[in-house]
Amino acid sequence: MTAPTVKLPAPLFAKLSPHPFLLRNLTSTSASDGHGDRPPARRTNGRGTQETRPLLTKPSSLSHAHGSSLVRLGDTTVLCGVRGELLPVERIPQFRPLSRTRDSEGDGEGEEEEGGSVIGRGELRDYDLLVPNIELATGSAPQFLPGVPPTTLAQTLSTRVYSLLHSTGLVRATDLRVWSTAGEGNGKKNKEDVEMGEAEQGEGYREMEEEDRVVAYWVLYIDLLFVSFDGNPFDAAWAAVVAALRDTRLPVARWDPERETVVCSRTERKELNVSGLPVACTAAVFEEKDLSEVGTGVAEGRHWLLLDPDRLEESLCRETITMVVDCSDGETKIKSIEKQGGTTIGRELIRGFAGIAEKRWKEVKDATK
Amino acid sequence: MTATTAPEAALGVLPRSDGSAKYSHAGYTVTASVNGPIEAQRRDEHAYEAHVDVVVRPAAGVGGTRERHLESLLQSSLSQLILVKNFPRSLIQIVLQVEDSPENDYVNTKLVQASLNLAIMPALVQTAVLALLSAGVPMRATATATAIAIARQDGAQRIIVDPSPREIETGRSVHVLAFTSHGGLLLAESEGDFTVREWDEVYETARAICCRSAPAKDGMAMLLDDEATGGPDMRHFLRSTMESKVVADLHWK
Repeated sequence: MTAPTVKLPAPLFAKLSPHPFLLRNLTSTSASDGHGDRPPARRTNGRGTQETRPLLTKPSSLSHAHGSSLVRLGDTTVLCGVRGELLPVERIPQFRPLSRTRDSEGDGEGEEEEGGSVIGRGELRDYDLLVPNIELATGSAPQFLPGVPPTTLAQTLSTRVYSLLHSTGLVRATDLRVWSTAGEGNGKKNKEDVEMGEAEQGEGYREMEEEDRVVAYWVLYIDLLFVSFDGNPFDAAWAAVVAALRDTRLPVARWDPERETVVCSRTERKELNVSGLPVACTAAVFEEKDLSEVGTGVAEGRHWLLLDPDRLEESLCRETITMVVDCSDGETKIKSIEKQGGTTIGRELIRGFAGIAEKRWKEVKDATK
Repeated sequence: MTATTAPEAALGVLPRSDGSAKYSHAGYTVTASVNGPIEAQRRDEHAYEAHVDVVVRPAAGVGGTRERHLESLLQSSLSQLILVKNFPRSLIQIVLQVEDSPENDYVNTKLVQASLNLAIMPALVQTAVLALLSAGVPMRATATATAIAIARQDGAQRIIVDPSPREIETGRSVHVLAFTSHGGLLLAESEGDFTVREWDEVYETARAICCRSAPAKDGMAMLLDDEATGGPDMRHFLRSTMESKVVADLHWK
């Protein structure tokens, strides 16, 4: 006679004691057969430990934004909209006037590349030209209550997105400048206009043209809305930001000297020059023992690295790692590592994780194109 | 140069709190107070463990999203160190007040900055650990942290320990690593543009700064000579600070 066992349906087991539930799921297959070649561990959601949810991207899903995207990562759905707004330089406090001469344009670009685009990034940061904002919709997950100020999670996410936007240099300040005379950066038609003007007005006009200054900047408001939330918010949010920026087409703006304001073209749009494709890859560490016995020295007990964790897994894992990689130049460049909340992930695991992130990058690249 | 200045610390600077510490290094000065274990609010109460509450206050203005992020990083790291299971349903509150931070003369200072300032992390971690020790909160390990930047100068890679804001701005990447006293990697935050190999170098340098134990110094002085100039010995600093405090407190005996 066996001891009486209480049979619980899986959802109830998960609700009552989530930690043993996930642990049982991860270990059950290996315990049942008992031979040397154990089948890979399965998570509660049916995925393998290193298996991510497919990323679905749909650009241009909003009609009134300059650029938008809808990203689905399993049950996590994020909507991202980018809207540009013109910021005249006289409205910027402590504005440092910026001018160029037509001939030195090429030089300026080169210098910027050489110096790690210090100048361009300074503008983006000083004048706050990129404004990301993240909203976790009330109905998206049970833990988000209505009528409360932005949660720590929302604030943390927006800081991370903001920092990464600046540190990766995804958007270049040169795309956001509006010059007093139309230049190379401002589209074909304007260039033709200038050439015509030159022809008509001759030398005098050319003299004026040398004094070309920035009259306004585009400010990009990047708004993210989590429609549904099932873990791994940062990867989804970042993928949505990148997809929306790649989709962004700002109207061609030029300075109208007669009205002394910046005017936008109704029909002409110019796309942003988004450099590279940084992809975020997150994993959480699930430990066999609950926190009470976990030491802070070398890892003890079994642990699993769960790639792309869902909401249940996130609630059970304390240690997370997020790596942002960009392999678009052929070489793997790490843009950011964020590892917190534990000591299981050491040097070896981080090195190994770079390979995992690289694989994820390929998957995401296929999904976006 | 800020990198050559040794860290300074004082314990028990605030008379009313359970524990406090003041720490200054690399241009940053932070004062921390620790109260705990105290009664937790209903919404923060956890049935099995203590809630660790971290509050970061900037040198000027009120805290924004950036401070929330720093708080969440500290909270997840410190609750690994504190024996939270020993104090169910209670609260351990750590308040960190930034008093001074180095300024970058090349950019306009703005009161509200959303961008993450990684270089302040080591000072915050260090101060929090010192204040927790001062409050006598049971912990399973202490932690030490350091900030490192990689810059490219004249075509050569250069590793800068405790970089200044200007060096961070012009550098290629900046890293913050925290180690526990058992040698585990507690926190690793990096941003910029780097490769795995560069990160490995940073890891080695940071480990030499954070985990160099005091006795190994005399035996391996020659071996570690080049690293010894790379930065201060954080673990030794933590230990000597505590020792001098204990000596001062037991002076009457």
